[in-house]
Amino acid sequence: MIPKTITVGYDNQVRHVTIGGTQPLAFLGGPCAIENRDHALMMADRIGVICDKLNIPWIYKSCFDKDCRSAPQSFHGVGLNPGLDILADVRREFGVPVVSDFSDAAWAGPTGEVCDLVQVPALLCRQTTILRAAAETGRPIHLKKGQFMSPWNMKNSVRKIEAAGNDQILLTDRGTFFGYNMLVNDFRNFPIMMETGYPVCFDGTHSVQLPTSMGDISGGQREFIPYLVRAAAACGINALFMEVHDDPPNALSDANTVLDIQYLERVLSHAKAAHELRLELLDKWGEDRVHLDD
Amino acid sequence: MSTSTTDLKVGDVLLGLDRIPVMPARSLLKEALEAMTRRRLGIATIVDDAGRLLGIFTDGDIRRMLLKDQKPFSALFVDDAIRHANRKPATVRPDLPLVEAVRMMEDKEIWDLPVVDAQGKLLGLLHLHPAVKRLLGI
Repeated sequence: MIPKTITVGYDNQVRHVTIGGTQPLAFLGGPCAIENRDHALMMADRIGVICDKLNIPWIYKSCFDKDCRSAPQSFHGVGLNPGLDILADVRREFGVPVVSDFSDAAWAGPTGEVCDLVQVPALLCRQTTILRAAAETGRPIHLKKGQFMSPWNMKNSVRKIEAAGNDQILLTDRGTFFGYNMLVNDFRNFPIMMETGYPVCFDGTHSVQLPTSMGDISGGQREFIPYLVRAAAACGINALFMEVHDDPPNALSDANTVLDIQYLERVLSHAKAAHELRLELLDKWGEDRVHLDD
Repeated sequence: MSTSTTDLKVGDVLLGLDRIPVMPARSLLKEALEAMTRRRLGIATIVDDAGRLLGIFTDGDIRRMLLKDQKPFSALFVDDAIRHANRKPATVRPDLPLVEAVRMMEDKEIWDLPVVDAQGKLLGLLHLHPAVKRLLGI
């Protein structure tokens, strides 16, 4: 099967990002939640400087609504229209494609009108109505594997999207439940999800989450981010996703897992180098296939 | 008027497409297994959008797969059926004498032969039991 590529960017206002095959490693990053306009623009500026320096194609990620928070008092987001206005500003100001998730099927249309990539949250990754709504935006879809899902069963979600007429999908692993309040990363997930033919991505920050481990909020072990990211890049991901913040302790969402932007250049440099080394090794030594011959 | 067994052709005995599992290219393994069970046949055929034969999948392929590919059933079930298929199966044309086709099945130790036209389009399946019954006149 020839691996598919997806191209993110629907007009000439932004640099288009092609993900998959032997394309350069792409980065999807930004604060978990849109906090306010000034913060979003400041983060886009700072991340853009780093990605430009490293020559890494990237997509700005931030969400207008966080419907999966553990507690009712947790920050829920700036809301659909204000959030999309801010993302449109980021697009216009920095020429970078943008992505947000949506958790209500009615929000898919407006999200797709602004966002170059529409994201299906991991916890909703098998909801037919959500998947169909995402597909009908006509935009490429960032589909995150549910923490409760096997990598092979993501094919069912892929088929739902394809049945709705969309074949532009990026599949992401963000950890798998290991009992309660604990995630592990099974790196077999990447080659298994690659069997769908679609590009795959690693979420390096949600993967270190300890879901709801702090009672009414999720904890996390961000010290493991560099290790997991480097391993995933060596494994063969096509894109890397990380939530990034300038002041993690005061981030309004996922404060325990977001990567401090002071480390972004370092982590991205490792990821890019591991990705390129893998392609060199495959070119020199052949594919990863070690099956016994029939 | 009865037809001599030497005059019988594959096309006289084949099971038509409505009687055999004919699976689209992107079918899951589980869908192929269900179709085989429904049709009470140990074979599924896989075709492209134009109806051309891409491969076949048999009970024997399942046995070999289970011994070789030791992944969980839940993963096997959602594999594309074509992944486990024989992509170069023996085939016959409908105008081949039936005796020759049955001899071919004997030589290859197989129970089924897909029947295709000159373009490779699937026409049906020659199944050993009805073929032998017809040759024996029973």
